[in-house]
Amino acid sequence: MEIQVGRIIRSSTTRFAVGCRVLRPEVPVFGSLVKVPVLDDEVYGLIYDVCMEDDPYVRQIAVQEEVRAEHIEDQRRNRQVPIEVGVLVVGYRRGGTIVHRLPPQPPTSLDVLYTCTGEGLVEFTRRFDYFRLVLDNRDLPADELLAANLRYAAEARSDGQAFLVDAGRELARLLNMDLVRLDGLLRRLRDWA
Amino acid sequence: MQDHSELDEFFAHRPPAPEAVAEVRRLGIVVSGSLSKGLGVKLDRGAVVEGMAVGRYVVVHGQTGRRFFSIITDVALDATNPALEKTPPDTSDPFLSQVYQGTATFGRLEVSPMLVLDPSTGSEPEAGEPKPVKTVPAHFSPVYEATEEDVNRVFGAGDERHFYVGNPLDMENVRVHLNLERLVERSSGVFGKSGTGKTFLTRTLLAGIVKQDTAVNLVFDMHNEYGWESQAEGRHRVKGLRQLFPGKVSVMTLDPESSRRRGSKVDFEVHIGYDQIEPEDVDMLSNLMSLTDVQINALYFLRRRLGKAWIEKLLAEGEAGEEGGPSELDMLLEDGQLHGGTLGAIQRKLGLFRRFDFLRPRVHEDVVGKIMDYLDRGLHVILEFGRYGSTLEAYILVANYLTRRIHGRYVQRMEAALGSRTDEPKPLVITIEEAHKFLDPAIARQTIFGTIARELRKYNVTLLIVDQRPSGIDEEVMSQIGTRVTALLDNEADIRAVFTGVSGAGELRQVLARLDTQQQALILGHAVPMPVVVQTRTYGPELYAEVGHVEGEALQDRLTRNVNLLQGDQEFEGFE
Repeated sequence: MEIQVGRIIRSSTTRFAVGCRVLRPEVPVFGSLVKVPVLDDEVYGLIYDVCMEDDPYVRQIAVQEEVRAEHIEDQRRNRQVPIEVGVLVVGYRRGGTIVHRLPPQPPTSLDVLYTCTGEGLVEFTRRFDYFRLVLDNRDLPADELLAANLRYAAEARSDGQAFLVDAGRELARLLNMDLVRLDGLLRRLRDWA
Repeated sequence: MQDHSELDEFFAHRPPAPEAVAEVRRLGIVVSGSLSKGLGVKLDRGAVVEGMAVGRYVVVHGQTGRRFFSIITDVALDATNPALEKTPPDTSDPFLSQVYQGTATFGRLEVSPMLVLDPSTGSEPEAGEPKPVKTVPAHFSPVYEATEEDVNRVFGAGDERHFYVGNPLDMENVRVHLNLERLVERSSGVFGKSGTGKTFLTRTLLAGIVKQDTAVNLVFDMHNEYGWESQAEGRHRVKGLRQLFPGKVSVMTLDPESSRRRGSKVDFEVHIGYDQIEPEDVDMLSNLMSLTDVQINALYFLRRRLGKAWIEKLLAEGEAGEEGGPSELDMLLEDGQLHGGTLGAIQRKLGLFRRFDFLRPRVHEDVVGKIMDYLDRGLHVILEFGRYGSTLEAYILVANYLTRRIHGRYVQRMEAALGSRTDEPKPLVITIEEAHKFLDPAIARQTIFGTIARELRKYNVTLLIVDQRPSGIDEEVMSQIGTRVTALLDNEADIRAVFTGVSGAGELRQVLARLDTQQQALILGHAVPMPVVVQTRTYGPELYAEVGHVEGEALQDRLTRNVNLLQGDQEFEGFE
């Protein structure tokens, strides 16, 4: 079941940001796969960041001695600055085929972002070519991000354990020159396995 | 009836037995290598490193459909990152070890391509003949375990020219056949440490030659192991060639007493007269009898002066002393032509001959003629040494004495035949043990055995050398050995010697040094298309039966059958 996460507020070929109002249990989740319909294509991304900025009213409430529950609730539901969700682009779908490359065009502002779980997640993670697009981002917690994503992908499968072993082998191939990083990443996967 | 068809239907739909669809197992891909150094193969994740073994066969499927028939020469462990050796991952965790195995760490094979099998066209069997390898398969060509079919294609089928000698390692259903014609075409050698089964191997080869009738054998049987039955290490008795081929093998002996004790059936006792021995025969023993050059020269001089009976005279002089007038020897001494000390040393050393009962002052029969007679009739001759087998001097003296003369006659006959094949004498294979004593670098150039080994098949005489110290054999002779059958050797010098004049020897060394101590041998050279490690066939009842030996019940059956044949129809009760 697809859940709407929010609308795009900022976008580029490699990353985009989505604004949403409230934090719900299922969305937005770090490491989950999301998609945005863009014209005939669908652009896929991984949520790498969920950020809540302050506003003057929050600051005021934060320093009050007694805060009423209604105020807190009101502030959370009707926030002035939206929750900002950072998404890393990892591929797109064109004509029924999923491609693990950067899309020709980024999504446009106010396009709607949906979660991608179950079948969709399994289909996207059938191949591992998108690993490189994730691992190359040294300014992001890329390892943590990929590990989280793989855990969800494993959960969505009946043979999750075998899936993780295959993914681990692909990582061993990609990171064979950086054994410390590889080891850290594999341990993150193992803890789930 | 209904049941029947249901059953049929059930069985018809059963999946075939696993061995029937046994897929060719892929082992890995070629990742590096050269023709001279062999190929590097990265093992697939699914291939178990511990399941590989040096000496086994693999087939590389090349880009052009050619199959490169290769032998595993080394098994190694490798890693994509050398740092992995310094900081190995935590493999106690099954997940991590599963991930690392076959990716960051993997097994590696060194394989040596030996033959190329062209893609078979099906209609022309000739197209599939294995050829020597002249190129290497491309990068990432897949490598498979050799199937029985592949191995059979290389080592051929058993026919009148080929003889089954054993099975490749781990392939019990595949037979390796030796081309006996090529085996006897050049000199060959059986090497191995003592106790590795050299004698059994030799006996098997000889049985093959006798059975297929490719050549006649003359065996200098040092330890009386080839003619009549002898005891194997497992305390059971094995049959000698004479028992397997009655009527085709004839046994001669130097020591009739020993032969009688062992129950060996002997055709002929060999005696050699003192007057038949020439200085050249003694020359061969110079090392063993520590004869100096001066003493050897003196032998030739004495032979010239004393005539045919030179040894007899020398020995008589040493023994009896003076009787009557001055002897010929005294005269030589007085003339100053011979030094007293030299003569004394020669007499003392030749005194050894008195201990050899087969040496007689005068012998009327001509041993060489007798043996030639047997060989001409296609009979194989085994000369048992009895107790003299432990006296190296006797062994070398007799082997050298006979071989020199028989070879001489072969040379004459070949020259007389002048290339017309029908008149040529039958190819002769002379088997000698402790060959390094004959083919020592110091003497190999002069001795008859060195000559035979070097002149190849020119005169239809070749050697079958049985030895445990191939490093003691002259290098030039070793390089002329056509086929080498080698059981385990672990001395570095011996291993090097066995591979003298063999290309790609470096890789095969690993194979040789890791043979089992018994019933395994590496065969390389002229008689096999490529080097092969075999589990040698057991010299026992199965071989006996194959070469046509019958015994026990089978013999009784045959007897009954023959009697029936002779007596004709049982119903027939005569004319009256």
